[in-house]
Amino acid sequence: MLSKIIVLLTFLAVSPLGAVTFKDNDVTVLLGNTIIERAQKYGYIETALTLASDKKNLKFRNLGWSGDTVFGHARSYFGPPKEGFQRLQKDLTQIKPNIVIICYGAVAAFDGKNGLKNFINGYEKLINMISKSANPRQIILISPPPAQNLGNPLPDMTKHNKQLAIYSDAIKKLANKKNLIFGDLFNSIATNRKKLTNNGIHFTKSGYHTIATIFVKAIGLTPPATELLYSTNTIELRFKIIEKNKLFFHRWRPANETYLRLFRKHEQGNNAKELTMFDPLITNKEKEIETLKTSILNSK
Amino acid sequence: MISKIILISLFTGIITHAQRGLRDIPDPDPVKQQKAFNLPDGMQAELFAADPMIAKPVQMNFDSKGRLWIVSSGMYPHIKPGAKENDRILILEDTNGDGKADKRTVFADNLHIPTAVLPVDGGAYVSNSTEILFLQDTTGNGKADKRKVVLSGFGTEDSHHLVHTFKQGPDGMIYFLQSIYIHTHLETPYGIRRLMGGGVWHLRPETQRVEILSKGLANPWGFVFDDYGQTFATDGAGGHGINYIFPRSVYSYSPGAKRKLLGLNPGQPKLCGLEILSGSHIPKNLRGVMVAPDFRGHRINLYKLKPNGSTYTSTRIADFLSSSHRAFRPIDIKMGPDGAVYIADWYNPIIQHGEVDFRDKRRDHTRGRIWRITFKNRPLIEKKNFSTASIEQIINNLTSKERIHRDLARTELRKRDKAKSIPLLEAWNINLNDDFSLLQAMWAFQAINITNNHAIKKLSLSKDPKYRAAALRVIYHRYDELPESQDIVRNAIDDPDPQVRLWAICCIAQKPSPFSVPIALRALEHPVDKPIDFALWSIVREHENQWVPQIESGKDLFSGKLSHLLFAMKSLAKPISLKSIFNGLKRGSLTGQKKTAAIAVITQVGNPDDLENLLPYITKNPSLIDLLITAKKIRKIQPTAGLEKILPLLQSEDPVTFNKAAHLAGLWKLESARTILVKTLTSSPHKRSAAAKALRLFGGDQAISLFHKILTTSNEEALRILATKELAILAPQKAANSAVNILKKDNGADQHNLISIFLKNPKASSALAQALKGQTLPPLIASLALQRAGTSGLPPKDLMAALKKAGNLKPMTQKLTPQQMEKMIARVKKEGDPHRGETIYRRSSMQCIACHAIGPVGSPIGPNLVSIGASAPIDYLITSMLNPNDKIKEGYHTTSVIEKNGDAHTGGLINEGREEVILRDFSGKQIRIARKDIKTVSISPVSMMPAGLTANLREDEFIDLIKFLSELGKEGEFKTEPQQLIRKWKILQPHNKELDESKHLGASIFAEPSDNFLWKPHFSRVNGELLPTELPKVKDRSLIKWNVARFGIDPAINGQITLKINETKHMELFDGQQPIELPETGPANIEITAGGSQDRFTIAVTSANRKTPVTIETQTK
Repeated sequence: MLSKIIVLLTFLAVSPLGAVTFKDNDVTVLLGNTIIERAQKYGYIETALTLASDKKNLKFRNLGWSGDTVFGHARSYFGPPKEGFQRLQKDLTQIKPNIVIICYGAVAAFDGKNGLKNFINGYEKLINMISKSANPRQIILISPPPAQNLGNPLPDMTKHNKQLAIYSDAIKKLANKKNLIFGDLFNSIATNRKKLTNNGIHFTKSGYHTIATIFVKAIGLTPPATELLYSTNTIELRFKIIEKNKLFFHRWRPANETYLRLFRKHEQGNNAKELTMFDPLITNKEKEIETLKTSILNSK
Repeated sequence: MISKIILISLFTGIITHAQRGLRDIPDPDPVKQQKAFNLPDGMQAELFAADPMIAKPVQMNFDSKGRLWIVSSGMYPHIKPGAKENDRILILEDTNGDGKADKRTVFADNLHIPTAVLPVDGGAYVSNSTEILFLQDTTGNGKADKRKVVLSGFGTEDSHHLVHTFKQGPDGMIYFLQSIYIHTHLETPYGIRRLMGGGVWHLRPETQRVEILSKGLANPWGFVFDDYGQTFATDGAGGHGINYIFPRSVYSYSPGAKRKLLGLNPGQPKLCGLEILSGSHIPKNLRGVMVAPDFRGHRINLYKLKPNGSTYTSTRIADFLSSSHRAFRPIDIKMGPDGAVYIADWYNPIIQHGEVDFRDKRRDHTRGRIWRITFKNRPLIEKKNFSTASIEQIINNLTSKERIHRDLARTELRKRDKAKSIPLLEAWNINLNDDFSLLQAMWAFQAINITNNHAIKKLSLSKDPKYRAAALRVIYHRYDELPESQDIVRNAIDDPDPQVRLWAICCIAQKPSPFSVPIALRALEHPVDKPIDFALWSIVREHENQWVPQIESGKDLFSGKLSHLLFAMKSLAKPISLKSIFNGLKRGSLTGQKKTAAIAVITQVGNPDDLENLLPYITKNPSLIDLLITAKKIRKIQPTAGLEKILPLLQSEDPVTFNKAAHLAGLWKLESARTILVKTLTSSPHKRSAAAKALRLFGGDQAISLFHKILTTSNEEALRILATKELAILAPQKAANSAVNILKKDNGADQHNLISIFLKNPKASSALAQALKGQTLPPLIASLALQRAGTSGLPPKDLMAALKKAGNLKPMTQKLTPQQMEKMIARVKKEGDPHRGETIYRRSSMQCIACHAIGPVGSPIGPNLVSIGASAPIDYLITSMLNPNDKIKEGYHTTSVIEKNGDAHTGGLINEGREEVILRDFSGKQIRIARKDIKTVSISPVSMMPAGLTANLREDEFIDLIKFLSELGKEGEFKTEPQQLIRKWKILQPHNKELDESKHLGASIFAEPSDNFLWKPHFSRVNGELLPTELPKVKDRSLIKWNVARFGIDPAINGQITLKINETKHMELFDGQQPIELPETGPANIEITAGGSQDRFTIAVTSANRKTPVTIETQTK
């Protein structure tokens, strides 16, 4: 009960305009490049998001893809990027998210100032596509996290961070222009923290652990209390979330796509029927997640 | 008609419900499998490990303790819904030294179709579908408890293409490969790296820099470094044997590549895995030989490499070993710490998962073997555990004569405390003087991420070019970490050795600057072979933004060397400083081939004004007209003015000149040429088809009414046929009726090439369908037309229906029920005769040899069938023959190009560039289509192999044909042997050569050059035999009947060689026109010098007296 009150109180404390507000049965899509994709393997961010709200039956779908951009570069398989963009559109149309949390910019920032205009134009098109194909209640833009300077022999990321700052700023302006929530990850993480990343740009397991609460705060939510986050039940909840994410991954981004649904489907397309067999498995796993979550939130 | 017969005979048969094919599964008993090996004398193959200790080994590598790490995937090829990700990493140890694994540790058991493992740096790199992991055991219980994602973003579009083949280089870097369907997007601290298709990556762990080393190859699963650090790869889906991998090289199948290199052994079986035999346990004659498993053919091949220019020649020698066990699937091979050779046997009756269902019950998911190969009476080498060695001992082993000791010592060195190792290494290094030790020291330092300036500088001055090239390879990766890099590289561009020059270009490519291209192009002053030409072409394009602005600002970047500028401009395909080229033409400083090259480049990159300026040169040299034709067809440009300058060429009596000039006039729609073209059309039979084509290119009502008039009024049949063809393109509905009348008289081979014209455009095919209503066609031509229609880009349903009706044709494709299939398989096994099958395969009416090769000979259009029998189950072969569209091999998908005007083209994609798309059509012809004309380019779901090819076979013939295919590549008579046999011949056709010209008698007449002789290409049978009875009989001056063939020596061979002839009875042989004395009977060995043309030798036999087949082997010294 206490936790419920705490959660309620903290919700009231945040300006509703700048915050994600969940409703019962909301489907949230997490969209972006490596930072989002790898988050599904560790589950910390999704666990923190799950426990940051007492709404019922929240579902999360991680559509992150390493190396992806606002143009859908990494999703295109055999075709040009626009096919990746179309694939994303199809995914969103099917999933029909109520909330879409987006984090792009880490890849584009390597292009520096010259690439900024292209990036922001592309980002705006992406937002328009999402609104059109899924009409979510809320879209949240998150700035990319800063790179970490880990010292020689790893490269100095100072210049890259300057470029990331420019991109983050532009994303914020875009969010304002489109009247969207902006989550500032770039300015919420220091650039000299050891152990967050292996290579300066990608979070380790403990890195995700550390930034989970920062991420939740950045989108205007109050992270669950520390004792909640470290409870045995929460660890189990996180494992269940990871298992659910694996099932969903095999469902929406299966191996052997060439044979299942692309140009060799005449050979193995009959096996695409197995993909929908993941749906009840995901549903069951989400029931377990919901039960456990309710018990955790009621435990105090 | 096969389909009917099959149906009748199968339906009347007893239908059983047994699971077909499950009976195919060989006995899994390892003892039986061991007995099935064919081993050369002195070799023994013993079981090191087997199921249930291990299962499904994919890749293996030894660690510095001498333990064997195996990545094991029972989940392959696809996860089942709800299944746990439970693939494993296993560690095998032979603790008592008896040559058998007696301890197994499960290092990890929670992976998803992992395909590679590399135990280094205190843990193991493991590929796990989309990611590369680094797993560590931090508690010492043997089980990984720490999991780090090193890289993510690898594609998973095909499970047997996933990131794989991990290798630690002598430089300490991690190399890994991916295959054609994989699209990878890696975020690195240096920016994004994307690889769409196959290729080789490298990762420097300390700096986390990840880069692409080479692109292409369909499914490369073997990768090695030789003793000098040169790299090679094999391809599990490509047939070029060994491929020499140098930085920025691009090989076959690289999607979107403008230009591709070819491997060293075209026509070889597909290979999985690659190792170099080394160490004192290996017999001397095999040391340094490359060993690569032919996993389809259940055997392991050997390749011997020799330096050749900047690259190598590779010769296949006798098999390493082979097996008659159908589940033996060698897919990885490694030298072991004891000097023995280890083979990972995937053990499966079924391979691949594209053609055979993911869930096919015959797939094995639980078995797997590791075989250990040793040689009798040869001592093994000492197996060392470097993890317990002192740093001094490790350093001592860095120069061991045993390569495995050097490699594992270096691997161990990376784990040691640098504060302790560096002082000892430096003390060792400074006193080294011999090349071999310096090379090991250079690598040892590189492996611990230190640039060994001392060794690099010394090796760059070595007398042996192999060491100089090795020094450059380090500079390639560490250019900025060595102050002398620039000097060394700039000297190396003029090195006397071609491979050193190639590496110099590779190094320069790493450092873009305004001078990088001019310096690299200095290599043009030395002999240029294919890799060097490729590397130069590549740097010119990659560094465009560096050198082009300099030229454009007026700098003489190439120091007045027009040939360098020409090369650069041609490579870039952009007009850079054309003015200086024109000056060269005017001043006459460009002559001969350089002049032709300059003119060619201008037509490729110049504008209409430039073309106008070229007209005087081209009209003087009509052989160059093609260049203007291409400029118009592909680039859509023509000279601004002065087009009439070509009019005099239309008066030419030389048909070639006239044809080209007419073509050009037509493309230009040169009105002033129309009158003479019309006149030629009606008056000059040998030039009229060119005139007709030109007039058709003019288009418009005038051309339509001209052709229509000829078609309706001319008495001359040939002219009416010509008009029909041209009109079919311009106004198909007006030509269709006439076309039907012509086809009615066709001999069945589409003798006037009408069909392809009507298939090119939907309007034309519909017009023909209309005209066929109520008409009948001979079945032969109707069936051919139907085959062609079925494989065209947009199969025209209306025309196909009309053809079936007009030709009264049966259905072309045939789906067998499981019961029918089972019965058919049984009959193939029991009744099929592969020898008769080969004869059927070789029938020209079957069209097999028109599209497929078997081994080194045949056509490149379809997949090479060299080991199809060893890899594909019989049901797959039957289905492929009856319904070609059901089974399409990767790399052989048809590309469909639709032009804006509706014209459709289909074929294999050869090249897709900025200006044009090039396809290879069903006849092997290249079709060039201008980008500007193209509406869409897409992968077609239709196979290029027509349905219904077997429709005219009797059932027993069909069964023989399948039997033949099912034997290809298996141990036995239908395996392509490694000896270099003459397989490509030209066969003399019956002739009408005048008999009174000279006094020569006998077969010598056939060795004479003569325009009256017609030679047709011919291939040996799979076993290399040329059958005299298969050749046409031709008469000599005394009217004796001979069978005559010509052949040449493979251009890759040089030096003194021996021609080994099996039997000389009733045979004559000529080298050029010079007779070679042969014994009356018995075999003969003829010593010759390689070289010459591909029809250098003429051989004549009399099949009336001699039925013995002819085989000729070329044996190199």
